[in-house]
Amino acid sequence: MKRERAAAIVSRAKGLAAEIRWLLGTSLSAILLFPGNSAAEDASQGAQIAATCASCHDPAGRGQAIPPIVGLDEQRIVKAMLAFRASESPSLVMHAVALSLTDGELAVMARYLTDRANAGRQP
Amino acid sequence: MTAWTRRQIGGLVGGALLGVAAPHIARGQGRPRVIVIGGGIGGATVARYLADLKSIDVTLVEPNSAHVTCFFSNLYLAGLRSLASLTFDLETLAERHGITIIRDSAVAIDAPGKGVELQGGAKLSYDRLVVAPGIAFKFAEIEGYDEAAAKIMPHAWIAGSQSELLRRQLKSMDDGGVFVIAAPPNPFRCPPAPYERASLVAYYFKQFKPKSKILILDAKDRFSGQELFQDAWSRHYPGMIEWLPSQFTGAIKAVDVAARSVVTEGETFRAAVANIIPAQKAGLIGEKAGLTDASGWCPVDPVTFESTLQPGIHVVGDSIIGGDMPKSAFSANSQAKACAFAIAASLTGSPQFPPHLFNSCYTFLAPDDAFTNALTFAPEGGRIKTVKMLISKVGESAEARRRTARHAVGWYSAFTADVFGGGS
Repeated sequence: MKRERAAAIVSRAKGLAAEIRWLLGTSLSAILLFPGNSAAEDASQGAQIAATCASCHDPAGRGQAIPPIVGLDEQRIVKAMLAFRASESPSLVMHAVALSLTDGELAVMARYLTDRANAGRQP
Repeated sequence: MTAWTRRQIGGLVGGALLGVAAPHIARGQGRPRVIVIGGGIGGATVARYLADLKSIDVTLVEPNSAHVTCFFSNLYLAGLRSLASLTFDLETLAERHGITIIRDSAVAIDAPGKGVELQGGAKLSYDRLVVAPGIAFKFAEIEGYDEAAAKIMPHAWIAGSQSELLRRQLKSMDDGGVFVIAAPPNPFRCPPAPYERASLVAYYFKQFKPKSKILILDAKDRFSGQELFQDAWSRHYPGMIEWLPSQFTGAIKAVDVAARSVVTEGETFRAAVANIIPAQKAGLIGEKAGLTDASGWCPVDPVTFESTLQPGIHVVGDSIIGGDMPKSAFSANSQAKACAFAIAASLTGSPQFPPHLFNSCYTFLAPDDAFTNALTFAPEGGRIKTVKMLISKVGESAEARRRTARHAVGWYSAFTADVFGGGS
């Protein structure tokens, strides 16, 4: 019974969060401000999601036909992913990937890619 | 024979060697150890992603020093790529990613004792084991077809010497001959591949042996991407490719290697070159280790890819029952990443997040004409279910199809760098 009550509370909270997100709209700023977990957890989740990117995008940025994503800033990645989510015409694959990521996942993935690129540029 | 890599000979620090000497000492001290059996797409990806976390000691057991990719091997058959361009030295995984590689085959697994026995006699201990054995063939289902027959009528469904044999046969075939492809029943490795093979061999015939024909004797009544293939065949190779579904022929029953003929329920077809792709099952170590069920494939948990039959052993790639996920290199790579992060979470306490499972395949119809699909999956009720499926459409512009072919080449380069550690 206790567990059922807890599940109901969690479910209501999730519903409320979804509604708030809907009210905010999925604007760029809303996604970039998405409340995450701890920084370490975000980095770990970012790395796990970004592992998916590496199945098609060359990590060394040598890609020609498939554009490199190394060095893109966070906002640009999120913007591009929102465009891919909205339409399948530029790329079927990216449309499918963008649809499968929540706003929160998109935010931590973009931040991870940018942080990693910045770290790579430091001597 | 066991061949130790340079890293092991030089350092003698590999956890696996300690394991050989004293498994009870090795386990439980220092970094946890994962052994990966099989250096194909699934195995190499798990090994690489686990090793890159730095907190886990990773040993890869694989008899071959290099891997030849099955994907893109149809381009080799058509003379459009060299086999060398499809071959990846596994040593890169040792040199750049710190994986210990043992060139040997696993012959037995002791699940309760967490040990692996190798053909060369060594015994290794592990904290977690990943088995990625790929496919094996159900030879018995086609009378007269076995490993010896495959040296005359190749399957070419594991790339390498079988691909070379089939290429040689196609090159030496007289113009006007019939190339027979026996396509297997579901489930099998890379569902669009027999039909991509027909397309690309037709491209080769069109240039060099234009009177030749291709006959596909299918064990099925429909196949993956059927409309796209049949549209392309009529555009590029009219009258050259004939597809006979199982309902017309009763499917392949036997081969006569001496006469080079293929026998279906009601007819015998004479082949100038015969490519027999048998029904498939999980690679043999899967069966030996009790990882397979009655289907011949390995059931797994869809989040962690841990065997549902043998705790502590994970299975990824073509050998699993993947729910809706097709048996493809991309699926294997995607499963392997989810599996690596799940193992890391269990061994080191790193946070675990819901897995993202994908498949995307590029399929060539001609060198400058390709189609693609993109699928996303999620675990649901103990199995992997499709969430979204997108596929190229019949009637796309020639420019769109050319662009997809260019993407395919770019994808191949990035993907193999991801799997075999050739990237940054």
